[in-house]
Amino acid sequence: MIIDPAALATLGGTISLAGGLVGSSWGMAVAGSAGVAMLSQDPKQRKNVIILASLPMSRVFYSFIIMILIINTVAPELSTAAEPQGAGFAVLAMGIMASVAFAVSGIYQGSVCAAGIAFLSKTNGHILTNSITLAVFVELVAVLGLVFTIIALNMMGLM
Amino acid sequence: MNISAESLAIFGGAIALAGGLAGAAIGMAMAGYSGVAILAEEPKHMKSVIILAALPMSRVFYGFIILVFILTTVLPRITAMPDPGGNGFAVAACGVISAAAFSFSGIHQGAVCSAGIASLIKTRGRILTNSIMLAVFVELIAVLGLVFTIMSLSLLGLM
Repeated sequence: MIIDPAALATLGGTISLAGGLVGSSWGMAVAGSAGVAMLSQDPKQRKNVIILASLPMSRVFYSFIIMILIINTVAPELSTAAEPQGAGFAVLAMGIMASVAFAVSGIYQGSVCAAGIAFLSKTNGHILTNSITLAVFVELVAVLGLVFTIIALNMMGLM
Repeated sequence: MNISAESLAIFGGAIALAGGLAGAAIGMAMAGYSGVAILAEEPKHMKSVIILAALPMSRVFYGFIILVFILTTVLPRITAMPDPGGNGFAVAACGVISAAAFSFSGIHQGAVCSAGIASLIKTRGRILTNSIMLAVFVELIAVLGLVFTIMSLSLLGLM
């Protein structure tokens, strides 16, 4: 079976989008289940719960950026290259790397947000700022995964 | 699908960065959710919590160093070889070594930092220095993983 390098590159893009979708849905579910428990005892914290529970959603957009870049820029570059020499497999590897970054950081950002939500009614909502700060640390990993994937594709001369 | 030695080498670099990203995300999240619990009790420990929760982030940069080394130094050497043989697979194996080092040390450094954060109130912040010292022991594993990967790449004659 001969797989076209552009098809392998597109597979990399879709794997990265799949990782982002898994990370954000899992993270939002972890934060959301803590949010339901919190809202049942203190319904006026709903605004804070919505803010904290929606933080892991950004993974979807990061991974969509990677997929658009691969389909729009990298795949045409690969199909016009004289001899791709396995560059499609390298792009697939970049997609797997981005997908690990998005999935793991999304799931674990959800647990940080869930801890923040659990303390909302005890602190009258004052924990919101601090828990967003600590959740942004985990967000940074996803942003770095996005940036480093783009830098690596650039160094391979595919963008 | 024809996997060339170059694309296997790039796969190794991508695995190394993926391990670093996963370790950093899980470690920072573990420190982050005990940080949220401490800040709910005592918001003035914010500075110490941020210092301790940011320690596992270095894995991302170590992983990126490996990826950049492979893309800029190892790849031209492999391309210049008349018959690369199994060199690409060897570089992928080196990437797996460093991915294991970065992810395990990141996750478990997060556990050490989380223990330090949990004792911040009891010791009125004085545990910070000691817990940074104990976290640096785990950091050492990541640094040794980076150094030994570079050493083995240069023993393979690829740097």
